[in-house]
Amino acid sequence: MNPKPHHPVARTTTPRLLWGWLGVWLWVGCLGAGATPTNSIPAGKILVPAGVYRPLFRGPDELKEVPVNAFILDAAPVTQGEFLEFVRAIPRWQRSQVKRLFADSSYLAQWAGDTELGPDAAALAAQPVVNVSWFAAKAFAAWRGQRLPTTAEWELAAGTGFSRLEGITEPEYRRSLARWYGSPTPAVLPAAKSGVPNLHGLYNLHGLVWEWTSDFNSALITGDARGDTGIERSLFCGAGSLGASDRSNYPAFMRFGLRSSLKAAYTVHNLGFRCAQDLPAPKLAENSPQP
Amino acid sequence: MCLLATLRWELGASAATNLPPCCRKPLTVAPFTDQSLFQLDSTWTSDVGREVKLGVFQGRAQVVGLFFTQCEYACPIIVHDMQRLQAALPESIRDRVDFLLISFDTERDTPAALAAYRQTHQLGADHWTLLRGPADDVRELAALLGINYQKDARGQFAHSNVITILNANGEVIRQQVGLNTEPQESVKALVQALAAVPAPPPVVARP
Repeated sequence: MNPKPHHPVARTTTPRLLWGWLGVWLWVGCLGAGATPTNSIPAGKILVPAGVYRPLFRGPDELKEVPVNAFILDAAPVTQGEFLEFVRAIPRWQRSQVKRLFADSSYLAQWAGDTELGPDAAALAAQPVVNVSWFAAKAFAAWRGQRLPTTAEWELAAGTGFSRLEGITEPEYRRSLARWYGSPTPAVLPAAKSGVPNLHGLYNLHGLVWEWTSDFNSALITGDARGDTGIERSLFCGAGSLGASDRSNYPAFMRFGLRSSLKAAYTVHNLGFRCAQDLPAPKLAENSPQP
Repeated sequence: MCLLATLRWELGASAATNLPPCCRKPLTVAPFTDQSLFQLDSTWTSDVGREVKLGVFQGRAQVVGLFFTQCEYACPIIVHDMQRLQAALPESIRDRVDFLLISFDTERDTPAALAAYRQTHQLGADHWTLLRGPADDVRELAALLGINYQKDARGQFAHSNVITILNANGEVIRQQVGLNTEPQESVKALVQALAAVPAPPPVVARP
């Protein structure tokens, strides 16, 4: 056994190397992911093959490459209409009944009433739901028998281009990203599942609304450079010597900044969510008992 | 009413069995307020092995810290800061404030590991509760407390260093941010919160 490091930020190279190799191994594995039972994926849901998420910022002991298992992600964000069904079924999530602890005062502010979308109901119903807190999003997903995607899962899915797995190497993908992240949110949101899907068939990961992730509160430094001194250092354990992995990935900076500034009860006019779920366990026991 | 409440407090405290605060009878059965953390539905396991909901703390002020037993750097300081706060409490409220430690480490922090930690750090059962829970519920509680955390490659957790003070209704009244913070402000907040007479429970219970 090695002597104990004096300080938690002491580097341990060997496990990291191992993780790195594991990541590469998983990533290579995903290239041949044809073996996954794609035919069992329900309509409106998309199989996202296993891959590697490279966090934008990381602490000295954090993984450079995070292996992500294959999972299922909804093709589009949850719509206002779908959320309306949810609050009808579970009244404690209606606007007048929700506890302030779980959603701030602008929760579902765009609706005319507890269960009324208002005069533009038809148009609104097709738009992604916004002004929902993390708690509400989580409750919706649980109601559906699903869950929120992790940040790693979401970023892996969102990094996929229109024609290439590595979107960042694709000029059209980069252009479309720059277009959206550089323009304000329109007063009237387009419908969910509008626009061009990515290679996997996922819509609106960029270009419509921001989305909650299950572990949005795992970011340990703020994207704001002013916040990374003094107080923030004492607030966060192990936040020293951080560096961004890709400084040119501006949209990723923006998402990082947003996530680190959110609180779980916040509701925001352009923040929605979509649901994810684990791959179904294979029906027939094959060689390995692995689910 | 106030007198009665005080009496019950003292009864609760003087019934100094070996059970930590989590595992005694709740003091008040008032409905939870909108901002109360005590209304959470999640179930936690204490170091004495009993399963509880945070609602059991209804009626008692709590000083809450998130930690994990194998933490090398920040957590011992957080626990020490909580002990300093306990020592700084005026006699008048010392028996009315409990201390609650909840672990990030859902895998390694078994009830036995928590019990060992209680021993090592001499966290008296009269006021200290140690809990563990499922990863999802820890994530949710952390979100409510505004605590960010992430497990790193070595199995350590990088986390915000925050001590949260809940009044007897389970509402956050103060957060002490950072390590080695002087406890005066938190003591003041607790004295104030406990001096303010808790509203008597409404006669008609809400559905």
